[in-house]
Amino acid sequence: MLGFAPPWRLRRMGVVGMNRRNVRYIAPNNPRSLYPLVDNKLKTKLLCDEHGIAVPRLLGVCHFQHHLRELEDFLQPHTSFVIKPAKGSGGKGIVVISSRQGRNFQKPSGEQITIQAIKQHTSNTLSGLYSLGGKPDVALIEEMVQFTDDFADFSFEGVPDVRVIVYRGYPVMAMMRLSTHASDGKANLHQGAVGVGIDLASGRALHGVQHGHPITRHPDTDRQLSDLVVPHWDELLILAARSYEVTGLGYIGADIVIDRVRGPLLLELNARPGLAIQMANGKGLEPRIKLAEQRANYYHDNQQESAPDRVRYSTRSIAIL
Amino acid sequence: MNPGKQIVVLVALLVVVGISLVWYKHEVLGFPLLASESQTLWKIEARLKFDALGGPVSARINLPETVPGRSAVFTQQTAPGYLFDVVSNGNNNIAEWRHPDSPPGTQVLYLRSEIFFNDLQPLTERPLPVPVIPTLMGLEAQGFAEARQTLAAMDLEGAALVETILREINSPQSAWLGLLLRDRSRRADKVQLAADLLAFQGIVARVIRGVELIDRQRERSGRFMLKVWQDDTWQLYDAKSAAALPWTKFIEFQQGEQALFEVFGGEKSELSFSVVSEERAAFVNAVENARTHHSWLVDFSIYSLPVAQQSTFKLLLLIPLGALVVVILRNLVGIRTSGTFMPILIALSFLQTSLLPGLMLFLLVVGTGLLVRSYMSRLNLLLVPRIAAVLVFVIILYAAIGIAAHKLGFSWGAKVTFFPMIILSWTIERMSILWDEDGAREVFIQGGGSLLTASIAYLLMNSQTVSDAIFLYPEMLLIVLAIIIAIGSYSGYRLSDLRRFEPMERY
Repeated sequence: MLGFAPPWRLRRMGVVGMNRRNVRYIAPNNPRSLYPLVDNKLKTKLLCDEHGIAVPRLLGVCHFQHHLRELEDFLQPHTSFVIKPAKGSGGKGIVVISSRQGRNFQKPSGEQITIQAIKQHTSNTLSGLYSLGGKPDVALIEEMVQFTDDFADFSFEGVPDVRVIVYRGYPVMAMMRLSTHASDGKANLHQGAVGVGIDLASGRALHGVQHGHPITRHPDTDRQLSDLVVPHWDELLILAARSYEVTGLGYIGADIVIDRVRGPLLLELNARPGLAIQMANGKGLEPRIKLAEQRANYYHDNQQESAPDRVRYSTRSIAIL
Repeated sequence: MNPGKQIVVLVALLVVVGISLVWYKHEVLGFPLLASESQTLWKIEARLKFDALGGPVSARINLPETVPGRSAVFTQQTAPGYLFDVVSNGNNNIAEWRHPDSPPGTQVLYLRSEIFFNDLQPLTERPLPVPVIPTLMGLEAQGFAEARQTLAAMDLEGAALVETILREINSPQSAWLGLLLRDRSRRADKVQLAADLLAFQGIVARVIRGVELIDRQRERSGRFMLKVWQDDTWQLYDAKSAAALPWTKFIEFQQGEQALFEVFGGEKSELSFSVVSEERAAFVNAVENARTHHSWLVDFSIYSLPVAQQSTFKLLLLIPLGALVVVILRNLVGIRTSGTFMPILIALSFLQTSLLPGLMLFLLVVGTGLLVRSYMSRLNLLLVPRIAAVLVFVIILYAAIGIAAHKLGFSWGAKVTFFPMIILSWTIERMSILWDEDGAREVFIQGGGSLLTASIAYLLMNSQTVSDAIFLYPEMLLIVLAIIIAIGSYSGYRLSDLRRFEPMERY
């Protein structure tokens, strides 16, 4: 109807809008004081390490400009690594080095950069060029994830990751984000990445969506999206579910990548996850959140369920809604 | 109490308080609904002139009774060397001047009052007035008896009866009043005769004296009127023209046997009145009226400030309306703007520049700023110096636009200075980052959203009706606050959600 959906129909589908997300889910469940835990990737990483949650290994942290002098020596033993700002958002300021060519470093795309360029980039990171609000930042140096080949044809020039929405510890919806040519290798949906809804029960693809419109094939690789299956699915969901205990945030988006050797690794957490996941799944979040809420309230009064139990509940009861 | 219920209670409370304050100001304090409503203000000046004999002097003027629906907003007297006081004598007030030792010679005392009518009720009296029948003797009794017979023959009633008697007294057409009029040379006595004649007919009538409200009257002596009890109210009749007159045309200073004025220690005293009328915004009268009555609502309001500060607040009071527009457009419609309240500041600038020149200047400054900023991003400057550099550039641009417009003869060019430069610098910075990170599309979406929001806020704030209403009733801000709080807890869909999730219908 003129490009607008009638609200009652969206309500019947249980689609959650921005206001509902902010007023009903984020405000009561995510205390402001906990935001730094997820907005600062260094804090998230240290916290995850403490709780034994699998994350890409931290090689080092560059806190001050004078650390830059030691950067070259520090990077000597590592051939592949990632430098990222602790307070960056939307994948900004991340440099991935996959190998070395003599004294130069090489990005996965084949582009070579010098140590000077890396130092310059790190310096910019420290002075807040990539951080939210331009605040001074620190640069994390972590090991590069050895991506599994399972998604080889499903992603163009970039890193596919899985976004799981976790409500009070219960995974309620999941989607895979595939980078495209349009998204410039970034897995950011409003930059043109493809979102693929994933069935919570099986880890299999449901629907694809790009720029808010349904698609069935990857726009660059032409791969049938419905063929997509995420490996280590239960393990991945348990990882996501545990982020609730770690952070205390009741409404959270966990971004997870799959390492060829180590399996699912938690990449980052988001306290204000977007709503496009509903389009990718073709389903509304509300009934699932309602069920998770009931279950959480019930167990809140008794003993809380363990993460594997919660995932079992999600895959059996929440997934079918 | 959970937050949801608190919000309901708070919103209800704010709305009730806001509406009742507005109602109170309108109904009780007589504030008009629109600032454009005007009222006639009568400025009355009573001038008492006399020759002092030397020695102690005291002079008195009987003051009008207070009547509901008629307000005196301002009373002032000038009489150098005299002590002034208003003394209450039973149910009426008397203005009194005293001088312990006045030099002989002509003295002039002034009393000025400003009066307006807002909603004059019919004048009534309880207990019901009864006719006072004069005791008559000899010739008088005979004269009255004749007059009564003539009147009975005419068989008149109500207004016609009053008018006929008054006409007859003013210019006798026949001889039936001849006897009675012969002994009454004074005007007051003639009018009293009319009252007496009416009393014999069972009609209550009183002689009153005061000022007729006609614009630009000067040096008039007090005018006699007759007030007649008809249909349970006092009706006013002009003794001279023998016609009924509305009460809004007359101020009664003296009633019955009271003296209109008295002077002790002087001679050749005369009292004259001057009347000037002025059309004034109704709310100005209401404010002054409320202030003379020390209404706390007005005493502790922005009207108690000097006029210059009032106009500052007049502008400030509009900002919540801009905020309301932003809240509605962002949370109900879902328009994205760059910077939450930046559109309000732009709208305030538009108030100075007006809409089209404002839009053009904004696009010019931000567009050029973005070009410069895109060059600067190649220099990899640190954040604060970078914004400072943009700020300097924006100022240079202001000057350039101002000068160029002046040379080309566009007067609106100089108004560019009304744009908040720090805000524009930040806007340029934010849009530039947005351009790098999310592409030009997002810049146009947010930039366009900001300008749309600013334009709507401008149209609302620029409306004379709206700005007058909020100035007259700042209490409405409580209602605005209630709406904002209510929207703050609204968890339904935004218009943009309906558009965005529209493809989901097709699954």
